[in-house]
Amino acid sequence: MRPAIVFFFVTAMVASVAAQWNAVPPPGMPRNADGSPNLNAAAPKTADGKPDLSGVWRPDRNQKCPPDGCPDNQMSEQFLDLGWGLKDGLPYQPWAADLVKRRTARNGQDDPTSHCFPGGIVRLHTYPTFSKIVQTPRLIVILSEREVTYRQIFLDGRPLPTDPLPTWKGYSVGRWEGDALVVESRGFRGDDVWLDRKGSPLTEAATITERIRRVNYGRLQTQLTVNDPKAYTRPFTVTLNEYLEPAAELMDFVCLENDGGGPQFLGK
Amino acid sequence: MTRPTLAALLMFVFAASAQAHHSFAAEYDGKKPATFTGTVTKVEWTNPHVHFFVDVKDPAGATMQWEFTMGAVNGLFRRGWTKEMLKPGDTVTVDGYLARDGSHLANARIITLRDGRRMSGGTMPDEPAN
Repeated sequence: MRPAIVFFFVTAMVASVAAQWNAVPPPGMPRNADGSPNLNAAAPKTADGKPDLSGVWRPDRNQKCPPDGCPDNQMSEQFLDLGWGLKDGLPYQPWAADLVKRRTARNGQDDPTSHCFPGGIVRLHTYPTFSKIVQTPRLIVILSEREVTYRQIFLDGRPLPTDPLPTWKGYSVGRWEGDALVVESRGFRGDDVWLDRKGSPLTEAATITERIRRVNYGRLQTQLTVNDPKAYTRPFTVTLNEYLEPAAELMDFVCLENDGGGPQFLGK
Repeated sequence: MTRPTLAALLMFVFAASAQAHHSFAAEYDGKKPATFTGTVTKVEWTNPHVHFFVDVKDPAGATMQWEFTMGAVNGLFRRGWTKEMLKPGDTVTVDGYLARDGSHLANARIITLRDGRRMSGGTMPDEPAN
């Protein structure tokens, strides 16, 4: 009796979500025998034979939940600390270590994303909202719910500018190397971009290299290297996972809608 | 309203919401749980927190307006909320926590909808997300 009720409830919830957003699964989505998406199937290819990164993706949710359950937006550990999983953490220059200490002590209160600014490209992989990759042969566009922002990756062979106008997401050019999309980016708004909630900085001197692979139908894996000699004593590489949301559509997340400032900001 | 697990729960709440967009602990008092029943007058499906307003009758019979907050629209809808579930005119019961500033504001932990379904407000770790 109880399983039947639970099943009905789950079905009703799924149905209502589908009705609300008219979600359409990706064409040709592989399925298991029971009809559910087969997220372990092989990654798809585009018509021109390249890996197809298209889809709605959400960051990892590898932060452990308390026994009572998870909060509404479950985080990845790397959202909180990009150096999570690295033996010695991030290799901060002394001034950067001091800055992170001060930012951490304020519990993220000064995080630009808490003040409704966009995040940079690292947090595009870690902020717990969804992104949509739209792929064409000469251009990849990543649409983010987070403050309704976009990122462009040019695949048309143009060189990476040496000193582009600093922006939130920087300037990105990409090329295919086997099954990996290799993206190089620079031109970041130095003071405004935090790499994580603890406040790891990025400067205008930074170059970020991403090797993005769709390891199977349901998972994107990015090896992301930050080369920022002003803030870090050496380049470092982290691995970030994102997972396909086959029945999801983007939903705006504009945090200025009702909460631009005030005492409710993060604080102790 | 005393609950044996409240202290333990609140530790998790503080830990979890301090890492989210805004802090539960900064705005609400986890030591002041309260339950309200009344008529919904307005619902704002906005980010980063959904707000709704309820006319609640106090013991003397006077009507007071209370404001309640929930989680982000994205998180709530992906957990099964739809905007049809909460509309002006609905009679609802809200279990939540009072604002620290003493205003008629509370965090909505569990909302009992007009049809009796109990839904999480999304800002408290009561149930696994998705």
